[in-house]
Amino acid sequence: MVKKKVAKFLALRYKILALIFIILAGGLVLLPKYKKHEGIKPEELLNNVINPERYISTDALAHKIISKDPSILLVDVRSEEDYNNYTISNALNIPFSKLLNEENEIYLNQDQYDLVFFSNDNFYADQAWILCNRLGYKNIKVLEGGINQWFLTILNPPVPTENMAAIDFEQYNFRKAASMHFGVAYPEQTKEVKEPEVKAVPKKVVTIEKKKEVPTEGGC
Amino acid sequence: MGPLIPNGIIPADWDSIIAILIGLVFGFVLEASGFSSSRKLAGVFYGYDFAVLKVFFTAALVALIGLYYMDYLGYADINLMYVHPTYLWGAIIGGAIMGVGFVAGGFCPGTSICAVAIGKVDAIVYVIGIMIGVLIFSELFFLFQPLYEGSFMGNITLMDSFGINPYWFIFIFTILAIGIFALSDKIRSKVKKVFY
Repeated sequence: MVKKKVAKFLALRYKILALIFIILAGGLVLLPKYKKHEGIKPEELLNNVINPERYISTDALAHKIISKDPSILLVDVRSEEDYNNYTISNALNIPFSKLLNEENEIYLNQDQYDLVFFSNDNFYADQAWILCNRLGYKNIKVLEGGINQWFLTILNPPVPTENMAAIDFEQYNFRKAASMHFGVAYPEQTKEVKEPEVKAVPKKVVTIEKKKEVPTEGGC
Repeated sequence: MGPLIPNGIIPADWDSIIAILIGLVFGFVLEASGFSSSRKLAGVFYGYDFAVLKVFFTAALVALIGLYYMDYLGYADINLMYVHPTYLWGAIIGGAIMGVGFVAGGFCPGTSICAVAIGKVDAIVYVIGIMIGVLIFSELFFLFQPLYEGSFMGNITLMDSFGINPYWFIFIFTILAIGIFALSDKIRSKVKKVFY
């Protein structure tokens, strides 16, 4: 009895398999579609975000600029107005609002340079970094503290007090030298060179005595 | 997650070892299901055995539907899958030559190797024929080169060339395949039975 039932069922096996195929294929058509995630995976992005290596310090950047490192490309993400006002030398201006424009992709999506984003603080630079990172662009860093930090540490370095470590003095010396490189003038640098004063020596009156006229004497 | 090798979950160095393992299993299954018999293979052309047609269509369907489900669920990225490049005229002419060889010799290249493994003389002759063909092709490559490298269309799929939704394409393809299976069964019942 059971065997008969099994045989009856097995006679239909190809039809059942065909039905399974149709159901599975139909399932693909009927499944609700969702937009697929583009770019790198969320976990990867999170890993990149919490990695402090994405920042470059102002000192390291100054060192790179001064040593004319060809591998860095500075990108100013502030507005064009701010950019024209002041920017770090040789920086490119890609305003944050135009970051994802097509014409900028050639600068951002590359692996030749180390891009360094900066804004007034790291705020906009960080946002730009996240957007680019999410799209899978490589070698992008953020200037820690942005232009403000640049001004506070490189252009206008705080003078170390006497009780600070020697390393602070070294750092100060580096920053001072760097700021001179970027065109900051220091009072001691512009000290007037005093010409040595010439003391007025009292004039000696040299009286020229007139030779007495000597009457000609004899002669041969 | 997948595909496993492009995503670096399995190192690319394992390529050849995995290929050998898959090849062993594939060869075993071919032999076990009787695909090393030239009579069974040639049956497709004479209408007394459609096993080849059914097996390869079913394999394509299972892989296709399975991959798209895995893609949907996020286990494999369909965009990272390898798509074989299309050289249109090379493929058409090569396919025709392969078809003639198939019906004349009773083997396709894979099954001929399978049949050599179990010591079939016709398969040995067939494989020697393949080798001679390879030799002629490589020696006269300068003649065949324009055909071999011409009419390149890139790594395209049927979805790209028809420009239709892949899910609908799979559904239509499934219906079509099942229709062909039913049709082949009908033809087979009408053709005189051949004992092999």
